[in-house]
Amino acid sequence: MSNLIKKLFGTLLQKPWEKDQMVLDTSHPGKTFDISLQKSAVIIIFGIATVLFSLIFTAYIYSIPPEQDTMYLLKPNLLWINTLILFFVTYFFSRIIKDLEKKETLKIKKNLIIVGALSYLFLFGQLIFWTQLMKSGNYVTTNTYFSSFYIFTAIHALHLLGGLFFWGKVSSRVFKLEQNKILDEEKNISALSWYWTFLLVVWLVFFLMIYTFNDTFIDWCKSLVA
Amino acid sequence: MSEEYNDNKTVHAQSSETISGGTSGVAPDIDYVRPAEIPEQDLYHGHSFITKWVFCQDAKVIGVQYFLLATFTGIIGLILSWLMRLQLGFPGAAGFMTAEHYYQFVTMHGMIMVVYFLTALFLGGFGNYLIPLMVGARDMVFPYLNMVSFWMFFIAVLVLLSSFFVPGGPTGAGWTLYPPQTILEGTPGSGAGILLMCLSLILFVAGFTMGGLNYLITVLQARTRGMTLMRMPLTVWGIFTATVLAMLAFPALLVGALMMSLDKVLGTSFFMPTILKAGEVLEYGGGSPILFQHLFWFFGHPEVYIVALPAFGIISDLISVHSRKNIFGYRMMVWAIVGIGGLSFFVWAHHMYVSGMNPWFGFFFATTTLIIAVPTAMKVYNWILTLWRGNIRMNTVMLWCLGFIVTFVNGGITGIFLGNVSVDVPLSDTYFVIAHFHMVMGIAPLMVIMGAVYHWFPLVAGKFLDEKLGKWHFWLTFLGAYSIYFPMHYLGFIGVPRRYFEMYDSPYMTSAVGMNEFISLAAFLVGAAQFILIYNIIRALKVGKPAGHNPWQACSLEWLTPKVPPEHGNWGDRLPVVHRWAYDYSVPGAKEDFITQTTAPSEVVDTGVEKT
Repeated sequence: MSNLIKKLFGTLLQKPWEKDQMVLDTSHPGKTFDISLQKSAVIIIFGIATVLFSLIFTAYIYSIPPEQDTMYLLKPNLLWINTLILFFVTYFFSRIIKDLEKKETLKIKKNLIIVGALSYLFLFGQLIFWTQLMKSGNYVTTNTYFSSFYIFTAIHALHLLGGLFFWGKVSSRVFKLEQNKILDEEKNISALSWYWTFLLVVWLVFFLMIYTFNDTFIDWCKSLVA
Repeated sequence: MSEEYNDNKTVHAQSSETISGGTSGVAPDIDYVRPAEIPEQDLYHGHSFITKWVFCQDAKVIGVQYFLLATFTGIIGLILSWLMRLQLGFPGAAGFMTAEHYYQFVTMHGMIMVVYFLTALFLGGFGNYLIPLMVGARDMVFPYLNMVSFWMFFIAVLVLLSSFFVPGGPTGAGWTLYPPQTILEGTPGSGAGILLMCLSLILFVAGFTMGGLNYLITVLQARTRGMTLMRMPLTVWGIFTATVLAMLAFPALLVGALMMSLDKVLGTSFFMPTILKAGEVLEYGGGSPILFQHLFWFFGHPEVYIVALPAFGIISDLISVHSRKNIFGYRMMVWAIVGIGGLSFFVWAHHMYVSGMNPWFGFFFATTTLIIAVPTAMKVYNWILTLWRGNIRMNTVMLWCLGFIVTFVNGGITGIFLGNVSVDVPLSDTYFVIAHFHMVMGIAPLMVIMGAVYHWFPLVAGKFLDEKLGKWHFWLTFLGAYSIYFPMHYLGFIGVPRRYFEMYDSPYMTSAVGMNEFISLAAFLVGAAQFILIYNIIRALKVGKPAGHNPWQACSLEWLTPKVPPEHGNWGDRLPVVHRWAYDYSVPGAKEDFITQTTAPSEVVDTGVEKT
């Protein structure tokens, strides 16, 4: 991070009209960061999605009703299992990346299938949790707290579905390739892996918020301030 | 789809050291250029009318498509403004117009002009056309996604305009779409109208994200050799920073539009408090209308700079080229663009001083608002200092530039008035606010667009626009715009409120009548004057004077393509290699008053170093 800041400010301080700088500049390769286009795209999507999810987080916190430990009361619930599944997805992606680094391609196809299957399982789990919530009488219109909960989980799921679309495209290419050519897809696969890790982080922040930002926690904070 | 065509239709550029002679041993080291490291881009070349001009992946064609569609929506916005001014200047003259129509026209005019005209035109139009050319790339990095981006915009426009034809018509809640009244009965277009508006905005944001991804990655990762960030023209800096802003600000609009749609369709209460209507309690409750205001303005204020920053960049380049001087304080101009971009996320609540916020909150946002004036003022000084002792060409482009500076300063100064809480509160919701933001983000960016059109038309079409018609266009627009907005400030001072269909029996009924009539007449004139440009373009395409290569004798890369207008792939067989920044004008010792970015140092050995 400090290197990035140094690089950024160093760049902004350059005087491109000076002769010494001109010589340096002309030998510039034209690329700012040494990462693939795919990873660059994923990083930018991180930025946009972070703002999007932050705003929904804000709406969620804003809407916690007084004297109601809503989701806290439902503990333990299916969300814990869904979270675990998302962890497993990231774990299998990390195994794929390690295999790619070692240039061992034997298990990549199998692990890609596991990643996709677990992701769909996560989405299925979220749907089940929605039905559980509705059965307990907590609908999207019940109050703004549940509205925020539903909208967050829906948008998170949409992001995952978007990821699965690209997972499908990359996987279909990988499955058509011979074993020794799979490494050609390294950039795409590692970009997907970054994306899933990001979705896990977003989910974890929200998951923690569900169980911490409740009246008990807020009262505890107030007692500290008092 | 592209793969099947790659074999025989890919442009195989071989960026070679022979361009510089760096490895031949003949040229000195100052010309050294490292071998190309970025692999050549595969391009899909259209082979039919549909793939060449409709579903085209060439960023230049997409840029022109954006430009034309944005202009089309802009003309609709203009016609709506005429109808509004007709009612305000001559109440009842348009017999069909009811108060509901008036509010719908106000709303659609505002949203169309800010989002679908200015944003789409600056980022989609100029961004697509200029970024790859100015950074020496063959195209955007994801051309297919870029094409989808335009078509999403197209669908967004269709959805928006379709709201004119649904029961109840388009939304009439004002362009800020403040809930709760936006989705409640009694507000025009509170049914299908507002839903279509929200859907259109969601589509616009989704489409723009695809385009923005392209602009950012092309600038960061796909520049040609030698093109460092600090060698980029300020136009690219402006569009790049504005895109970053848009990527971070548009999610707020997306969330706001989505939640409002859910409030309307599913009956959630994100923005809806408990409401009593005709003695009955509605089903809504627990939501916060202020939350929407925060979301809207978290998008809305950066939006001002999403429009302004590309305008700042473009005007800097136009002034430099047409005054034959390097831009004064290039680094400071870059810092100011980046600084304004960063600060623009900390000023949003100055639009909400009358929302009942904590006074300390107002104090904070007033302070940040005044701070943002500092880098903005620096830019104005630098434009003036670029002109100072320049070899100014007083052509149409320069007239638009000068018009912009004056207008922007005018609008900026009234912004300082409104940035202060104590001045803003009495002026809120008056015509002073209308005059301020039309000057600063309506007329000023429009002048940049016009200057840019006169400047880059010879590149796009290979023909010059007619200068005489251009000057008529400028003077009618400039004088007409001041005839509209100067008096409007005074209307605001005497307290005439905005968003009123008519003045009824208020004191403004007598004191403001003459001024309103005058403003309306001027508005009709300014609107009509814009059709001079359309005529000029059609005329130039038919009988315009051929422009040839680099007609303005500019330094930047977009003028240095092998063919004019540039073909798909931009650079023929070889990508350009950049040896200098984009502002080597009137360099001491040089034979001509410009040295292009591709000119190697060994070709201009006797030149001095410019001071900036």
